[in-house]
Amino acid sequence: MVRKGISDKVAIIGCDMTKYGELWDKSQYDLLFEAVQSATKDAGITKDDIDATWIGIFYFFTGLSGAMVEDILKMDGKPATRTENYCASGMDAFRNASFAVASGAYDIVLACGVEKLMDEGGSGLPGFTLFGHPLYPTPSAPAMFSMAATRCFHEFGWTKEDLARVAVKNHDNGSYHPKAHFRSKITIDQAMKAPMIADPLGRFDCCAMSDGSAALILTRPELAESYAHADDYILVKANAISCRTNFPWYVPPNGPGADFTAFPSTMKAAEYAYKEAGITNPRKEIDAAEVHDCFTITELINCQDLQFCDRGQAAEELKNGTFNWDGETAINPSGGLKSFGHPIGSTGCRMLTEITKQLQGRAEGRQVPDAKIGLCHNLGGAFSVCSTTILSQRD
Amino acid sequence: MPIGIKSYGAYLPKYMLPRELIGKAWDFPIVPGTKAVAMADEDSLTMSVEAGLDCLAGIDPKSIDGIFFASTTPVYTEKDSASLIATVLDMREDIITADFADSTKAATSAITRAVDTINANKDIKSILVVSADTREPEPSTMWEYGFADGAAALLIAEDDSIPLSIEDYYSVSANVTGPWKRAEKDKFIRTFEVKMDAKFYVESITKVMGEILKRNNLKPEDIGIAAYYYNNPRMHGRIAKMMKFGQGVAQNSLFFQIGDTGTPMPFMLLIASLRRPKPDDKIIMAGFGDGADAILMQVRDKNALRDLGKTRLGFIGHQKSMTLLKNYNKFLEYKELLDKDRYTRKSSAVTIWRDTASVYKWYGVKCKNCGTIQYPDIARTCYVCRADDPFEPVKLPLKGTIFTYTLDHLVGGTYLDTPVPRCVIDIDGGGRVLLNMTEIEKPEENVKIGMRVEITFRKEHEGAEFKNYYWKCRPERGRP
Repeated sequence: MVRKGISDKVAIIGCDMTKYGELWDKSQYDLLFEAVQSATKDAGITKDDIDATWIGIFYFFTGLSGAMVEDILKMDGKPATRTENYCASGMDAFRNASFAVASGAYDIVLACGVEKLMDEGGSGLPGFTLFGHPLYPTPSAPAMFSMAATRCFHEFGWTKEDLARVAVKNHDNGSYHPKAHFRSKITIDQAMKAPMIADPLGRFDCCAMSDGSAALILTRPELAESYAHADDYILVKANAISCRTNFPWYVPPNGPGADFTAFPSTMKAAEYAYKEAGITNPRKEIDAAEVHDCFTITELINCQDLQFCDRGQAAEELKNGTFNWDGETAINPSGGLKSFGHPIGSTGCRMLTEITKQLQGRAEGRQVPDAKIGLCHNLGGAFSVCSTTILSQRD
Repeated sequence: MPIGIKSYGAYLPKYMLPRELIGKAWDFPIVPGTKAVAMADEDSLTMSVEAGLDCLAGIDPKSIDGIFFASTTPVYTEKDSASLIATVLDMREDIITADFADSTKAATSAITRAVDTINANKDIKSILVVSADTREPEPSTMWEYGFADGAAALLIAEDDSIPLSIEDYYSVSANVTGPWKRAEKDKFIRTFEVKMDAKFYVESITKVMGEILKRNNLKPEDIGIAAYYYNNPRMHGRIAKMMKFGQGVAQNSLFFQIGDTGTPMPFMLLIASLRRPKPDDKIIMAGFGDGADAILMQVRDKNALRDLGKTRLGFIGHQKSMTLLKNYNKFLEYKELLDKDRYTRKSSAVTIWRDTASVYKWYGVKCKNCGTIQYPDIARTCYVCRADDPFEPVKLPLKGTIFTYTLDHLVGGTYLDTPVPRCVIDIDGGGRVLLNMTEIEKPEENVKIGMRVEITFRKEHEGAEFKNYYWKCRPERGRP
């Protein structure tokens, strides 16, 4: 599958994100405007330097088509495309933007994402009565991932306390991040006693509804030398995506992913990405990772699927501190989706922004010591779509 | 060749309401006993499917030549129920179908039409007659004590081996205004004068049973079992005396166990009475409603009848797994008498028609390349071997085991009880499916990995303003 790839062909020369949260007084246009303004400023360019845009948006009510970019930024008719790929929408916008500069078709490209969820009200992701087949059951997002939790409890002996440790760690990390939606630490007891959303996942096992936007400016490494981050631009080492079925509950017991204790899209995307980036020991080589903690169970399974630990061992490794910000592999040093919420189309770009800044040593919160190589990971749908990106410091 | 009853089946919903709770809710004089209450995801169509499945245990549905549906509470007034029930039961398409409605004697009338049709048409050898009612009483009226929900099915066939032959039928018509429901306005049954209703009941039912005895030169003492409908439990015993039936001949009215289920009641009474048939028993089944029908039957093979009882849940088998509703409010909720704001899911009659095999007939597909069974048949490629278009259709069993599950509190749509158990089920023999669970109390304690479930046809929602049915799972009730 991976042929020439894009390793070392794309450089991030500027990035930023808005504050995340219940941003009642701001529209999706305000958020996108602010994220792009900050990112161009970070890169030392103006919007007129941008040749083309890819924007990640999941929901139709946030915005349709690339014209969304023109609506607020007035790019003078430059090309823009909306990408939608569930929770990987933002990171897939970045992936497509990467291909555009790597191919030489464009020199400077904007990859961004935005989502405005709170305008629809905050009781769970909207639209679940509109999606899909009229008769087949449509479980809520937490219900989908809960079915994996139930199975992991059964197979690995994990408990609600194991899940609570994920929430406690991520809220602890998030408490240091000025842009996070939630900045309070929580206790294991609080997490375990929270109201149930989809058994066994309670409120603190689930990421929140939130608004936000993030943006990155990409170019080729040889051009990157002439911009603001000439000395510390960030290289894209790999960018992989894997799609599996939207309906894991129909996969027969001998089919891929049928055990519900691993997400085959993550395993495949990780395989592609590590091969492209030349990574053979992810646990040792990846210093900081922003992984998709839409639910606490997701983070535990991600750590296994991304090969940061052995199958069945994620809960124990977490307990032992392996995934703390100063542990062997820092998982979600920003505080993750648990602290930022999950404005869907923006999240991938937020993670890429976060890891870029970690590798540049300017992380706004928990700077991971000596972070040289980082990873970003989104998992969307019913574990259907996974995007995995590996970034590193410039040579 | 004799025509008669080849098989029978019944359905009683999971829940019974103790009448004491009705009395306490309205400060009424307490009436003893319990009555059967369908859940909000059940109606006369879904209950008919259950009774049909019970009746057809071990019988190939494709061998049957017709289906009649009888109910005073059909789910549509234009669009028949029989054809949908036939589809869900996986019957052939070249069959006759008809709905019999508007009178509680519709079920016995359907039997008489089935007998005549089989007699008259050499190509029609068997007709499944299914009957169900969800009788909605107006809250705080005495109707609440009586009206109950249930279904029953009789397979009428021309066959040398039938255990119970139909010898004769006789009908009378009688017009009285009461009880009634106006098609365009009334949600609940009305009546003008119950004493007059009772007088018409007594006259019609004694006349029809008396005449059929006379036509066949029989005396009351020649009758072994009398299974006749009642609209008033006090009248039931009086009829036995008036008819001069022997001791124990009149089948117990079942009023104290399940209440008055309306149209399917004569079938239920008959099925309840067939547990210990005597050889050569003569049996009368009678239905009432704007007149009456009496059907005279003859036991031909008591052992075969007893075997039917062992291989079907019938009346007793369902009764065993019924549980009591804990409060009156739950009853109001199940009858959808609480004014709740309900989401409407999107729907499409086109999609449902296209997916009929999966969504109604409960077919999956089997990969001819690797042998894996899978559901639904939306895919054109195999999940396992990835072959393109390798499938042949396969009928799936209605039983399975929970592989994983969650209890979803964050639900949109018309859900009866929350949290909704979303269960990933390994279907017996192969195939995996996601189904919501119904008939479950305290799911936090009672839903488990490895739990055995039965798959049952239920009402899901009313998106696009029609009835959207699909399958759910339920804790086992022992359906064959």
